[in-house]
Amino acid sequence: MELEKEEILSAIHHCVKCKLCSIASFHPNEEWLPLCPSGEYYGYQAFYAPGKMEIFRAILEGEITEPSEGLLKSVYACTVCGACYEKCKQITSVELGAPELFEEMRREMASKGWILDVHTSIADKIKETKNAYGEKYEYKVNAETTDGNADVLYYIGCTARYRVPEIADAMLGIFDKLGLKYQVMGEEWCCGSVLFRTGQVEAAKELVAHNVEEIKRSGAKTVVFTCPGCLKTFEKNYPDMGVELLHSTQFLTRQGNMNLKKEGLKAAYHDPCHLGRDLGIYEEPRAVLSEVADIKKMKREREQAWCCGSGGGVKSAFDDFALWSAAERLKEAKEAGAEALVSACPFCKRNLKEAAEKEQQGELEVYDIVELVNRCLEG
Amino acid sequence: MNETFSTLVKELQAIVGERNATDDRAICTSYSRDQHWHFVPAKNPACIVRPGNKEEVRTVLMLANTHKIPVIPYSTGINVRGLTIPVHDGSILLDLSRMNRILEINPDMKTATVEPGVTFGMLQEQTRKYKLRPAFPDAPLTVSVLANYYLRGIYQTSATDGHDHTISYEMILPNGETLKTGSRALSEMPYFRYGVGPDFAGMFCAHPGTCGVVTELTAKLYRLYDNRKEYFIGFDDVGTPTKFIYNLMHDELAASIRLVDNQSWLKGIFGTFDYPYEELPKFVLCVLVEGVDGIFDAKDTLVRAYMKECGGQVLELPAEFASTFEHESLSGAEKSCMVFGIKGRGNYHCIGLYGPLTLAAKYYEMHEKTALEVGIPQDHVHFYIDPIYRFHGQLCYFELDVFYDGSDEEFGDKLRNYNEKQFHRLLELGIYGWFRPYAGIIEPTAERIGYLAEVWKKFLHVLDPNEIMNRGKLF
Ligand SMILES: Cc1cc2nc3c(=O)[nH]c(=O)nc-3n(C[C@H](O)[C@H](O)[C@H](O)COP(=O)(O)OP(=O)(O)OC[C@H]3O[C@@H](n4cnc5c(N)ncnc54)[C@H](O)[C@@H]3O)c2cc1C
Ligand code: SF4
Ligand code: SF4
Repeated sequence: MELEKEEILSAIHHCVKCKLCSIASFHPNEEWLPLCPSGEYYGYQAFYAPGKMEIFRAILEGEITEPSEGLLKSVYACTVCGACYEKCKQITSVELGAPELFEEMRREMASKGWILDVHTSIADKIKETKNAYGEKYEYKVNAETTDGNADVLYYIGCTARYRVPEIADAMLGIFDKLGLKYQVMGEEWCCGSVLFRTGQVEAAKELVAHNVEEIKRSGAKTVVFTCPGCLKTFEKNYPDMGVELLHSTQFLTRQGNMNLKKEGLKAAYHDPCHLGRDLGIYEEPRAVLSEVADIKKMKREREQAWCCGSGGGVKSAFDDFALWSAAERLKEAKEAGAEALVSACPFCKRNLKEAAEKEQQGELEVYDIVELVNRCLEG
Repeated sequence: MNETFSTLVKELQAIVGERNATDDRAICTSYSRDQHWHFVPAKNPACIVRPGNKEEVRTVLMLANTHKIPVIPYSTGINVRGLTIPVHDGSILLDLSRMNRILEINPDMKTATVEPGVTFGMLQEQTRKYKLRPAFPDAPLTVSVLANYYLRGIYQTSATDGHDHTISYEMILPNGETLKTGSRALSEMPYFRYGVGPDFAGMFCAHPGTCGVVTELTAKLYRLYDNRKEYFIGFDDVGTPTKFIYNLMHDELAASIRLVDNQSWLKGIFGTFDYPYEELPKFVLCVLVEGVDGIFDAKDTLVRAYMKECGGQVLELPAEFASTFEHESLSGAEKSCMVFGIKGRGNYHCIGLYGPLTLAAKYYEMHEKTALEVGIPQDHVHFYIDPIYRFHGQLCYFELDVFYDGSDEEFGDKLRNYNEKQFHRLLELGIYGWFRPYAGIIEPTAERIGYLAEVWKKFLHVLDPNEIMNRGKLF
């Protein structure tokens, strides 16, 4: 365990089971807005933060000795979105947050072999192919437009390479249209996010070592990410490489006037959990989006945004739940008067898009901010 | 889990659907403990059942009754007294949170009819559309309206709401029979508490265990007024403000009146930890006046007049404090849980009781004295008075609070000592009653109430002869 047992128990004892973490701030608008996707979907106390903490206590105190179906489900069908903690800390001034506790809980469970097959199979795929989807082909980047000596390195990430390549394409398009020099990694390996989030820390070590080495070798001074999950992992789980780590929207706000032609699209902005709650990046995505679209505000946003439902290994293991969470978010965007739901994360885009197609017959468009920026840039 | 029990779980799943009943150990563990664990130790229910309607409730109860299996109704589980933690092995926890419909809001009658899973937040979201609100406890607005009122959850954030918010309800007994109280028993009109014979609504509620499962409850709603004004007055002791409080109560002038010390509930009332509270006088009286135009002005004038002679210091505080106090009082308490953040890794212990305002200073003195005797430091000792109108005898809710590090086992021992002494001392000094008849206070109290204790037991026996409802929480 990375945290001391006493420290964990003490944080768990601090939870008073008030369940305020299950709703967004009620005042001043006096609206009942749920915050915890797993609790709302599954219903039992075990799926809300206070119930999960109690389960962790019982594991640490040796009361739970078997990986029952309910244990695996309640622990892994949590998107580790951190919404509960954002609410809790306002009320109880608790220091150790639920996401940290839940990741520690997963580490503890993984160390006992209490882990979902689908998550170990991701580890196997990564071991074999160095990407989380087990794909054997390479995402192709036009070698002519990259510059091996550029100060900026674009870390693409597995999801943008293999599941939503339109995001990677858009980011590369932006570099080209703005005439910016950039490079990509010769051999980009998975950042290890999914392994860290599902408790498989050991398996991630090799990936960290490789990526650190490659980045150091590249001589880049800035690494740009379109995936907040990768960015968070580099920020929190990687050693300091002495380079600047930036999300695409942070990078874009630094480019000054990009001559974007605004399209008048009514767009709601969905805060990705890793970008907002984990890294505190709320303003830059809004600043960039407001240059290309008319932003329609949703009721749950920023620290109290409703998670899209795909994080924490949920998408791979509990797809129905992931799609339900996404559909809830799409409903909210529609209520806000939006024509499109825009995010800044390939995981969010993928899940929201799938839900938009399956559950909402494509009523709403789903984009990543970089796609809109690329579209609105004079070529 | 033995074979008989897993057969039972299958039967329960057949009633409520497979997804809604489980004996999974981890899921059961998540219901095993609340914040009162220093006093009510963790214990797993044997299974959790989540009925979706009253017919399912009835079938589950009858099944449990046949097999004499303890049943614990659970609406939201936030009672801070260990009331939903099982006492016996093999208990069914009946999680009623799926039953969360607001069945009616009747603006003419000023009533709302709700199922157990409806929380104060859910209800307020709807009632405010009619410029109405429920009576709010100072509990997080995630708690069940029905469970709170049924528990006789009647100290609230607005003194003017009086004491009784329950009008009538429907309860399913272990034998499957349905009991309806008040006018609800006679007709489809659930709007009058006193229907036939005695006030049964009162008799069935406020047991530490329950008599059956309440599936619907009709409660009073109160008006929301646009005119509001808040005052905060500082005092150095508990005795001085009592005359002022008495005047406010007597003339029914203020919607909310709360006397709190400057280190505890005030943080929730103001909604921030970040203020030099220690620079305020030791006790702060928070007063909120509201009303329609002419009446508001008249009340406000009188409050100001009484304030001039109250012997306290009128405090000038940031405007957002007044606004938070307003929200917390009249649209549902959300910040009250900040009391759990007071002592770092906070927990909250309190003895809640009803008594006359005249004894306020004595209760506080006794609180300090007993705490000192058992080794609880002075800076952990806190106090709260919440007056309630329209009762003779200057009815107030008092809270003798201690905030502490919840992970400190030794402190838990001190609190247990504190309770043992204080329950007896309070009974000696004189109280009207305990806030709720929760575990620990029953024993010393039952000794004093003579034949009433016998009648109480017999009464419960008639309704629940197999003693399945929250068995062990009482007698
Ligand atoms: C910070 C804080 C402050 C508080 N301040 C106040 C306050 O100012 N005023 C106040 O009144 N309370 C207060 N409380 C106490 C608490 O809110 C109430 O006790 C709460 O409303 C009841 O808890 P619950 O709704 O979660 O019910 P539960 O915990 O689900 O149940 C409580 C009891 O009722 C029984 N029960 C539940 N549902 C049913 C049913 N449908 N039929 C029959 N029996 C049932 C249970 O078996 C149990 O015995 C406070 C709590 C907190 C955390
Ligand atoms: S808000 Fe915090 S203290 Fe309250 S139940 Fe949630 S995690 Fe526990
Ligand atoms: S991290 Fe998110 S999904 Fe998990 S318990 Fe907290 S709010 Fe619910």
